[in-house]
Amino acid sequence: MSKLLKIGYLLFLLLLLFMAVEAYKYRGNVSFDPEEIVKKSILKDKTFETNVVEIVSENGIKAYLFEDHTIPIISIDFLFKNSGISYDEAGYEGIGNMVSALLTEGAGDLDNDKLKEELELYAIGISFGVDFDDFKGSLLTLSENKEKAYNLLNLALTKPRFDDENAALAKQRMNFALRMQSERPDSVLGLEFAKNIYGRHPYSRNPVGQKQAIAKITRKDMQNYIKENLTTDKLVVGISGDITPDEAGKVLDKIFQGLKKEGLNKEISAADIVFDGRDVEIKRKSAQNIAIFANRALERTDTDFYPLYVVNYIFGEAGLGSRLSLKAREEEGLTYGIYTSIVNRQKSDMLRGRFSATPENYYRVIEIVKNEWKNMGSKGITEAELKSAKDYLIASYNLRFASIDNISSMLTYMQRYNLGIDFLQKRNEYVRNITLEQANGAAEKYFNDDNLIFISIGNFNREISGENDNGK
Amino acid sequence: MNKLCKISVLAFLSVCFFLENASSKTFDLHEFTLENGLKVIVAPNHKAPIIKHIVWYKVGSIDENLGKSGKAHLLEHLMFRGTKTVKDSEFTRIIDENGGDSNAFTSLDFTAYHQTLDITRLEVAMFLEADRMENLNFSHESFEKERDIVFQERKQVVENNPMGGFNERYRSILWSNHPYGRPVIGSDEEIMGFSYQDVMSFYNSFYSPKNAILVLSGDITKEEAEILAKKYYGKVKTRDISDRPNPPVMDGGFSGVIEVSLPDIASPRIIKDYIAPSYNTDKEKIYALMVLSKILGEDETSKLYKDLVVAKKAALSVSSSYNAFARSYGSFSFSVYPKLDLNINKTLQQFELSLKKSLSEITEKDVELAKKKMLSGLVYIRDNPGDAAYIVGIMAAIGMTADEITNYDDSIKNVSFEDVKKAADFLFGSGQNVTAVITPLQGEINE
Repeated sequence: MSKLLKIGYLLFLLLLLFMAVEAYKYRGNVSFDPEEIVKKSILKDKTFETNVVEIVSENGIKAYLFEDHTIPIISIDFLFKNSGISYDEAGYEGIGNMVSALLTEGAGDLDNDKLKEELELYAIGISFGVDFDDFKGSLLTLSENKEKAYNLLNLALTKPRFDDENAALAKQRMNFALRMQSERPDSVLGLEFAKNIYGRHPYSRNPVGQKQAIAKITRKDMQNYIKENLTTDKLVVGISGDITPDEAGKVLDKIFQGLKKEGLNKEISAADIVFDGRDVEIKRKSAQNIAIFANRALERTDTDFYPLYVVNYIFGEAGLGSRLSLKAREEEGLTYGIYTSIVNRQKSDMLRGRFSATPENYYRVIEIVKNEWKNMGSKGITEAELKSAKDYLIASYNLRFASIDNISSMLTYMQRYNLGIDFLQKRNEYVRNITLEQANGAAEKYFNDDNLIFISIGNFNREISGENDNGK
Repeated sequence: MNKLCKISVLAFLSVCFFLENASSKTFDLHEFTLENGLKVIVAPNHKAPIIKHIVWYKVGSIDENLGKSGKAHLLEHLMFRGTKTVKDSEFTRIIDENGGDSNAFTSLDFTAYHQTLDITRLEVAMFLEADRMENLNFSHESFEKERDIVFQERKQVVENNPMGGFNERYRSILWSNHPYGRPVIGSDEEIMGFSYQDVMSFYNSFYSPKNAILVLSGDITKEEAEILAKKYYGKVKTRDISDRPNPPVMDGGFSGVIEVSLPDIASPRIIKDYIAPSYNTDKEKIYALMVLSKILGEDETSKLYKDLVVAKKAALSVSSSYNAFARSYGSFSFSVYPKLDLNINKTLQQFELSLKKSLSEITEKDVELAKKKMLSGLVYIRDNPGDAAYIVGIMAAIGMTADEITNYDDSIKNVSFEDVKKAADFLFGSGQNVTAVITPLQGEINE
C-alpha cells in the first residue's frame, strides 16, 4: 500500500469517527431530558407573590384576605363552626340542610322568584350548604355589582322568609334525595360505610337528614336554628379577589351585620373508630363490586402529617402512578381506578381508599391492597420515590390558585384547621423538609398493622373469583 | 359548593356566554396555524403562573363504523402507554414529577388530552404531547391490559348506574342509525373485540397535526406561544386524514313516547330530547335556540319552572338545555322530576301543557331579559384558565373560528324576538323527538 493511500485510509477512518461522534451528539439532542427542558425553558422565571393578610373589621370580625385585582371579581367564603350535620339537635336531623336550601329562596321583601331574578340578572352567586362539621356559605360577584351582592347576602342571612310554599317544596326535595340514595350502589355503600365505622357518633348520620325529623321542622325551628348557629362568634371568613384590606373590613360588617354575637355552644366527642381488620360484605346485584377500605390517620396539624401525606401519595393518591394503581390497573388491568386519601374532619382522621372491580377481579384487588399495605409498612418507600413525590407536590403547588373562589375557600380552610396565616409561604418548605426516616417512620406506624377494614357492596362469590378472565 | 357559573362545562356553555358589555371582550384570543396544519389558539390569562395545555383531535365516536363503537375511546387510553421515545407509562411519571395534572376524554365528536401545569413546566408537556401525536408505540401486552381496563370502566361508569344502560337504549331510539346513537365507550363485545391493529390504524388515520387544535390558556403571551408551538409541534410530520362518510340526514324518523319500568330506579322521571340544529347543520338558528332554552327551563326564573313547579305544583324540578356544539346535529333536552305522590302520566300531560303555554307566552321583554342574564356573568370565564380552555376548545373542535368564538356575545345580543319565535316554531313544529317516561319496576323500591 502506498503511503498516500495509507494516509487517505487513516483520514477516512478519522472522518468516520468524527461522523459517529457527531451522530451520537445529534442523538443526544433529540433524546428527551425533561430536567434540561425545564432548565432551559423560556418560561422558567415566571412566578408570583402569594400574600395573605388578616383583617379585623370595626365590629371585630376577622378574615383572611388574598388580594388579586387581575379580574374584577370578588369571592367570599365563610362558615359557622360546629353547626353542621353532626350538630343538628336529635329529632331535627336535616334542619341545617333545610335552612341552607331555603336561605336563597326568599329574603326580606323579595320572595323566591324576585330574589332569583336579582341574582341571575346581576350574575351574583350566593350559596349555602352543610358538611358534617360546619354550616357554610359563599358569595361570588362582579366588582361592579358588589354593593348589591353584599346587601342580598346580608338579607339572606338575616331576613330569610321561609315561605310555606318553599319550605314544603324543600321537604319534598329532601325526601326525594333520601330516596335517590338507594339508586346507585356507590351511594348505598357510602351510607353503610359511615354507619359501620361511626356507629352511634353523629358522623354516622345521613347527610340529607332523617325522614320523620324533616317532616316536622317548622318555620320557628328554622329561625331558632339561625339564632343558635349563624352567629359571629362561630364565624370564619376568607376573602379573595378585587378588593383592598380597607374595603374588606367594611364589607365584613356590612354582610354580617344583624347576626347575633353569641350562639349556642355545642360540642360533640371525637369519633372513636374501631379498626379491627373486619371485612363487611353488603350483598346487592350490580355490575361491579365496590370496596371502601380505611385505617387510622392523624390530625392535620400533627408533626407527622406531611411524612404520612407523602407516603399516602406514593401508596394511592398519585393517580395512575401510585403503587396501587400501577399494580391493580396498569399491570393487571383489574380495575378502572383505585385511589386513597387522608380524610381530615374536626373529630376524625382516617386514611381511606376506594376501588371497584367486577366480581371475578374483586378478590385479587383486595389481595393487592393487603399486600401493598403490608409492604409499605415493613419496607417503606425509597429515596427515589420520595424525591419524585416531592417534585410533584412542589411543582403542582401553584395550581391551587387557578380560580378566585378556590382561593377564598382555601383561606377559610387554613383558619378552620389552624394552618397559620403563613401557610402558603411555608407549605413547600414542609414538603421539602420531609426526610426518608420521617416518611418511613410514618409508614411503619400507620401501615404496619392488620387493622385495615374493608366495607364492600356487590356480588360476593369467592368461587368464581379469578376463574375466568374478566368474565368475557 | 355550586357557585354561579362554576358548574360543568356543558351546562356552563348553555347557561352563560361571554362578554359583559359592548366594549370589552371576554377573551383576547390569538389564532395561528403551523405549516403542518396544526391550529393553535392562545387565551392569555396572567393571574397566576399556571397554564392549561390541551390538544383536541377532531375525531370521536361519530367517526367509528357500526360494530366498532369505542375505538376512539380505547385509543385515548392507549395514548398513555408509550411512544418510540417515551416508553410505557413514562408519560404519566414525567408529567407527575413536573407537578402536572393530566387526563383525557373522548366524546361523540372529539378526543382531548389535557394537562394543568405550572407555567415553568409547560415545555415538558409540549414535548410529550407533540411526541405522541406521531410516535405512538404501545406494546401488545399494554394493549390487552388497557382493553381490560376499559371493560372495567364500562362496568363502573355505565352499568353500575341503573340509568346508565337505559340511557344507551334511549339514545339509540332517538338517533336511530346515526352514530350519535351509539355509546362512546362501546359495548362489552365491541371493547373486547378490538385488535391492536384496529386501534393503531385508527390512530394513523386520524391523528395528525392538520386534524388537531392546540389550546393554550394561561400565563403565556402570543409571542411565547408561537415560539414554543413551532419548536415542539412544528416538527410533527403531517399525515393525510382518512375520508369520513357524512352522518345520515335525520328527517322524519321515529318520534314518540316510550314508557319503561326499570329495576333499581328509586324515583320516576321524564326525559325528552329533540334533534336540533347545530353550528354545523343550521348555524342561523343556534343563538336563538340558546336564548329559547334560557327562557324555557334554565334556572328557577324560567317559564317552565314557574308554571310546572310553582303554579301547578306538579314537579320537584324541570329544566332544559341546548347543545349547539356538535359536528353533526345538536340536541334540545328537557328533564322533569315529578312529585312522588303524583301519577307520572298526569305529570307528563302537565309538562306538555306547560311547554305549549310557555312557548305561546314568550314576549319581547322575555327575550331581552334572558339575553341580559346570559351576558351578565361572562366575565367569570376569565377567572380559571381551565374553563376558558375547555369552552374555546369545544367550540374550535366542532369547527368555529377564533373570530366566531370571540364574537359570541354579539351573536347573542343580535337575537331578536322574531328569531326566537322562528326557531321555536321550527324545533317544536317538525323536530324529531323522543320522550321517555321512566318508573321504578314494581317492588324494587327499598326505602
